[in-house]
Amino acid sequence: MRKTLMILGVISAISLSASAQCDSIANLCAKHVVASYISDGQSYRALLFNDQPAEFQSTFYGGATYRIAGCSGFTDGNLLFSVYDKEHNLLFSNAEQKNAPYWDLKFGSTLDCTIEATLNSATLQSGCGVLVIGFKQ
Amino acid sequence: MFRNTIKGLGPVALAAVLLAGCDPKGKDGEDKGDAKSDTVATIVKVGGSMFSIPSPVQTALLIERSGIGFDKNILNPSTKVTNYATNYQKALNLGVYGADVGYVTIYDQSQEALKYLNSIRKLSDELGITGAFDQNTVKRFEANFGVRDSMLNLVNVAYRNSDAFLKDNDRLNVGSLIIAGGWVESLYFTTQLAKKKKDQAIITRIGEQKYTLNNLIKMLAPYNDQPEYKALIDDLIELAYDFDAVDIQYTYVKPVVDVANKTTTINSSTKVVITDQHLAEITKAVEALRNKIVGQ
Repeated sequence: MRKTLMILGVISAISLSASAQCDSIANLCAKHVVASYISDGQSYRALLFNDQPAEFQSTFYGGATYRIAGCSGFTDGNLLFSVYDKEHNLLFSNAEQKNAPYWDLKFGSTLDCTIEATLNSATLQSGCGVLVIGFKQ
Repeated sequence: MFRNTIKGLGPVALAAVLLAGCDPKGKDGEDKGDAKSDTVATIVKVGGSMFSIPSPVQTALLIERSGIGFDKNILNPSTKVTNYATNYQKALNLGVYGADVGYVTIYDQSQEALKYLNSIRKLSDELGITGAFDQNTVKRFEANFGVRDSMLNLVNVAYRNSDAFLKDNDRLNVGSLIIAGGWVESLYFTTQLAKKKKDQAIITRIGEQKYTLNNLIKMLAPYNDQPEYKALIDDLIELAYDFDAVDIQYTYVKPVVDVANKTTTINSSTKVVITDQHLAEITKAVEALRNKIVGQ
């Protein structure tokens, strides 16, 4: 019984610590989405290990420019993110842009996309991955 | 219940997702606002997909740009906030009011926006969401009267903080309902306004919701074992059958990268085909669902 309580306590502590870490990273990451962009109103976060990806299904409206910022840890370049269309054609990858922490995507038409995010294994083995998305029209 | 006549594979595939079962996180239908101590927070969970539903503000901006004037009648009155007794109703209508406050803000109805913001704050407090919609948010909103984008961003950042709070506290079910409420209200705006003016951009935006609706159903699917959620998911699947008639043709075109401006232009295109008859069916179904949510 005592052992079970201890395990639950450790899990709760890890959970709270991970939440706090994610909040701090999200606050830092939000700074990349400057005032001219309006937040999309959602929070995207996942605890990542090694090269295990997190996948986000998203619709981007035509006629809008989206700023996507991806962060992990407390320095830039720790999160790799790629955007694919519904046929899995690669539309953008920050790995091709020196691991840029943010990038603007200008959509002419509305597209249903998948964003895949993984840690940059050269700098991080595990951590909270956060995406922040803003738009302007 | 699902329709007897199968009109297409899309909704059937969605139904299969539900029947296959998903990881039931945040299962408490009547969420009391407490963080659970016996489960690891959702952010620690790895694997599976997360879903992003476009902000209702984007559609409200499209409506304003199409030249359609402000119409108070399409809103859910802010005074109805006291009608919502259960956490299920509160969460859905927190989303509905989010779409409403975006719409009135875009049309420079600042005092009206303030009323909605206070209703949002009330629902948020009652749902135990802390640190998102506080007095400071309301004050900053007032301080930015007249600066539309700043007002919209303040509200959306508050919704993002609320979403983060719910995810941190293993209450994804509540967060999903808020998003669902906002999406339905936004679709209600466009379908009602398309009845008044056959604006092609608005009609196209309605048709584009086919994919978003699929994502929304998948987002809610883990809670299908709770009666209230099941009823909502069934209604959304019914709606997906109507959307199945919308034809979306996609053509991939290689994107163009502008490294200096850190911008990539996505040139792929989609063409949405929707008949008047199908639009009318979608409009009718959305109206029924939205009125069920807001209690009309």
